[in-house]
Amino acid sequence: MKRLYSILAALALTSAANAQIGAPYIHDPSTIAECDGKYYTFGTGGGGLISEDGWTWNSGADRPGGGAAPDIMKIGDRYLCIYGATGGGLGGGHSGRILTMWNKTLDPKSPDFKWSTAVEVCSSDGMEDQDAIDPGMLLDPTTGRLWVSYGTYFGTIRLIELDPKTGYRVKGNKEKDIAIDCEATDLIYRNGWYYLLGTHGTCCDGVNSTYNIVVGRAKSVEGPYMDNVGRDMYHGGGRMVVAAGDRKTGAGHFGRTIIDEGVELMSFHWEADFDMGGRSTLAIRPLLWKNDWPYAGEQIKEGVYEIESERRGYSLELAVDFVRMNVARQGGFGRPQANAAPPQPVPSQTLDEVKGTWPTGEIRVRIGDYMFRPWQRWQVVPVPQRGGTICGPLYTIRIEGTNRALTATDQLEVTTKDFADLDEQLWRIEQLTDGTYRIMPYVIPGQQGKNQKYCLYSAGDSTSTLAEYDFNTDNSKWNFRNH
Amino acid sequence: MKKTVTILLTMLPLMGIAQNPVIRDQYTADPTARVFNGRVYLYPSHDILVPEEQRQNWFCMEDYHVFSSENLTDWTDHGVIVTQNKVPWVRPDSYSMWAPDCVERNGKYYFYFPSAPKAGGGFAVGVAIADSPTGPFIPEPEPIKGINGIDPCVLQASDGNAYIFWGNGRCAKLKPNMKELADDNPRETVKWRDREMEMVGVNCLKDLPNRQAEGPFAFEYNGNYYLTYPYVREKTEVLGYAMSKNPMGPYEYKGLIMAEHPNGCWTNHHSIVNYKGQWYLFYHQNFFSPNDDKRRSVQIDKLTFNADGTIQEVKPTMRGVGINQATERIEIDRYSTASPDVTTEYIDTLIQFSGGCATMPKKGSWLGYKDVDFDCLTDAYMMIKVKAADNTEFCVREKNEKGKVIARIKLTVKPEEPAGGAAANPMAARFRRDLRNQWLTQTVNLDFVPKGVTDLCVTNEGDGALSVDWVQFKNRSNYFTPVSAAASPARPDDEGFIRRWLLLEPIDKPNSGNTVFTDSYLREHFYREYFKGQQTMVPKDGQKVTAVFKQEQAPAGFGRGAQAPAQPEVKTVKQTLTWRALDSNMFNVKLFRFAEKWGTKVYGVLFWAVTIIDCEEDIENVRLAVGSNSASMWWLNGEEVLLLSGDRRMVKDDAMSNRLTLKKGRNILRGAIINGPGMSDFCVRFLDEKGNPVKNYSIKAQ
Repeated sequence: MKRLYSILAALALTSAANAQIGAPYIHDPSTIAECDGKYYTFGTGGGGLISEDGWTWNSGADRPGGGAAPDIMKIGDRYLCIYGATGGGLGGGHSGRILTMWNKTLDPKSPDFKWSTAVEVCSSDGMEDQDAIDPGMLLDPTTGRLWVSYGTYFGTIRLIELDPKTGYRVKGNKEKDIAIDCEATDLIYRNGWYYLLGTHGTCCDGVNSTYNIVVGRAKSVEGPYMDNVGRDMYHGGGRMVVAAGDRKTGAGHFGRTIIDEGVELMSFHWEADFDMGGRSTLAIRPLLWKNDWPYAGEQIKEGVYEIESERRGYSLELAVDFVRMNVARQGGFGRPQANAAPPQPVPSQTLDEVKGTWPTGEIRVRIGDYMFRPWQRWQVVPVPQRGGTICGPLYTIRIEGTNRALTATDQLEVTTKDFADLDEQLWRIEQLTDGTYRIMPYVIPGQQGKNQKYCLYSAGDSTSTLAEYDFNTDNSKWNFRNH
Repeated sequence: MKKTVTILLTMLPLMGIAQNPVIRDQYTADPTARVFNGRVYLYPSHDILVPEEQRQNWFCMEDYHVFSSENLTDWTDHGVIVTQNKVPWVRPDSYSMWAPDCVERNGKYYFYFPSAPKAGGGFAVGVAIADSPTGPFIPEPEPIKGINGIDPCVLQASDGNAYIFWGNGRCAKLKPNMKELADDNPRETVKWRDREMEMVGVNCLKDLPNRQAEGPFAFEYNGNYYLTYPYVREKTEVLGYAMSKNPMGPYEYKGLIMAEHPNGCWTNHHSIVNYKGQWYLFYHQNFFSPNDDKRRSVQIDKLTFNADGTIQEVKPTMRGVGINQATERIEIDRYSTASPDVTTEYIDTLIQFSGGCATMPKKGSWLGYKDVDFDCLTDAYMMIKVKAADNTEFCVREKNEKGKVIARIKLTVKPEEPAGGAAANPMAARFRRDLRNQWLTQTVNLDFVPKGVTDLCVTNEGDGALSVDWVQFKNRSNYFTPVSAAASPARPDDEGFIRRWLLLEPIDKPNSGNTVFTDSYLREHFYREYFKGQQTMVPKDGQKVTAVFKQEQAPAGFGRGAQAPAQPEVKTVKQTLTWRALDSNMFNVKLFRFAEKWGTKVYGVLFWAVTIIDCEEDIENVRLAVGSNSASMWWLNGEEVLLLSGDRRMVKDDAMSNRLTLKKGRNILRGAIINGPGMSDFCVRFLDEKGNPVKNYSIKAQ
């Protein structure tokens, strides 16, 4: 019992656990890059963050050149970094320069770590409607061509093309204006659409920053990028993707990371995280797609949920006896009843009413009709101090009011056991691009290392197991409902 | 010792380097220039860096590009025309595509080039044929029989024959098909080392200065034939020439066209062409490869004949030839003249293609650049790339160091404390930069715009050294067109936007940022009286108003209201402002550009806008749709209809009024727009119940 208290105390301290931990202080994070198993992001002013697991971030990445809002991507076996050498309006003038440079590795401790001499790919002269900072890159998967959007509120957002082999501007390439009223833009491609993600609102005003990320889409990389009401981003259009919430304000500088099929993330910064002293921090959220529009997903918050299978709609439950409630059927098929008393609420079945029927020790789980009974109600608690992944923190999943925790077994099955803070009792809960979730044991007993493959799976409508994650089957997918 | 010499060379001023070289993104050598259809075509050989498996420190050329120009300053690269692995007879890894020529005969273009044949045996000369000067060129399957050597040049003489020169000055007649040597050419047996060879044609340089002669270029002018050629006078090549009354000689040696390159570049190779009445010498040096004289670059200078037909010696210049448009990027470090203390060097000694720069070491140093045409400027500003070790000052002047000032630039490179100190303005402090000894592109307004073709002079007027790279003038976009009193009424544009407005020059309205523009702030500040008739007047173009008002002093921030002082100091201010009738050339009215052109400040300003809407009948149930940067308030016929508050961007249809009626006859739409640190603008239209633009009215500015 003492142990439970200490866990609860830890939870209270970190109840806002849907943010990366460590010292993830950054502004304008570049699209997250992976190098030798570590994650990197680079921000305004130089430097950047490194994470071993994607969950705990600390400074230590190294980008020379200062300036604003870099982006970075792996092309072939090298990393191409693009950045604005100036600070835009923040630095005073609007004559900006955008530069590219290469590195074989992002690990500053590697002997191969050496940035090539930066080369200028575009500039603004300080007089024109343009501010050449804030570049974002897209390597078009359909053509192999490398595109860059850049610019700020001071004029237009422009598109240029670079040579992906050299990082130089393509010879003869002319700038094209594709949007206004944005800064810190990024381009992405998905399913036949090009998306321009821009940052709108007030920057750099801490807790009062209204910064938010908007999107438009086009069938050609050169635009026109239209929003959901058919308004061109060149006329200020844009549909919101993410803005303030959860005690954080000012979402800016979008980056997309694909983790797995159906698992995508968006990285950006908060201008102010109220639980981190109002500092600017790295944010990583699930990226969802509906009707070919991007949405910000959610990391599951602490709460009591039905865990519903996407396969049939049944609910994850303990394999125990169904305990009938002793309430006579009322009403008789809805026919009016003479002199009936006003209806009284029927209390929900309680844990105490049923737990005596449960065996002690291990109880397997299965999937059944959801009746909001105690054996179907799961207390989901993030345990960020136990670690996490780039997708979010680890969770414990227990029957509400008990210490009975969902546990992976060496037989690739799922059961419940007394919570003993074992790694196989920790779960990754990751929202998929269609809004459903996958639930993966952090480790599987008897298997080497951390589990990257197996998830909670509907073997049948009524049978749960662990099986390889496959986005193309609803057997891999679950919904969390609090009802 | 060799190393010492190299260092000395790079420290010396790079004499003989010009606006020149003319091709600045690749190496070019052995230039043959020809005029076809009123345009100059340049056929150089194409030096490249030597691939690992090839002989190092040697010439290396795998293909040919052709370039063309109308003005000798702007060159278009038409790309590769012939490449070593697509010529049947050429050994595809020989990298020996040496000096070419190209001539036109009967509408066909004949491109002559030497290379190493697959069959071995030194060099042969082939021909590739096209219907246009830029190709596509189809190479003949075999080289020209009877030519063993390099550097072909074809002379089409006034006797109707074509003659081909090659190697060390040998010349033979071509058949009219241009692909074979004529049958009646003389032949001779030549001893070379221990071999005897039968050679076709005659050696025109036999008894002339001819040590290591190569690259012959022959032309005809005023009844004389000129055979010009590089040869070694002492240690490296000079360009010499000889004259004759016959294409095949005998030739008489006349002297030098160009002396040895002072930097030791061993080769020179050239052509001479008359373009629009002026003779030019095309030649090469190694500006972009100072430590390897086998990677060369083409230069051009003017050439002059004496009355007796002899040629005046040409001195290589940095400036080169041609008139630069002021809107071109002018490499001003390749000056025409300069004070004696000016030096030049490479900007990046590893990447020579980044070019050179010139340093003016002290106050009074100057450099001049001839022949810049300013007639292309309409509403221009100047950009100049400079570097300095300390804050300094310099001018760009017309004509010479005492000429009229085109622009004066005060250069601040030392990091400055932000106004009020770093604590008061942490954001400015964070982005503060030390710009000493860094290349900076400075953008400046012009004090004076020269007319026509004139010379530029950059003068150092500060205390330290100043380095310059390039200068360029740029025309501003034209955001507005003035509306004359006689103009017929305008209509809304295709999307219903109102583009015709009377705009009042901006009222100076300091604020600490757009975030202070709350609803109550705006009500208070928009309803204050700045000038008489503010809410009622329908001004005329050019009408002046006197604004007298109490002005709160606020530090210009980065748009963060937090820096606003609680009790700002208040001053009474008087401004005389003019109403201007303008058509916006865009759907949005760029107030920032209006303020830049006609106001005193662009940030921390308040604008008033009025337009007159004439309707033929009542138009009911319309909404005023506005986007503005930043906040704005709008009145229709004296009634407040819309307020956009806060830190806003100009978004089409951002906010709408309630349903309104545009009444039959005259309606007055009035707006006030306030701005902090951003780029102020607005867009206004009327939309009907279904969101479609209303367009059935006319718009007047008076």
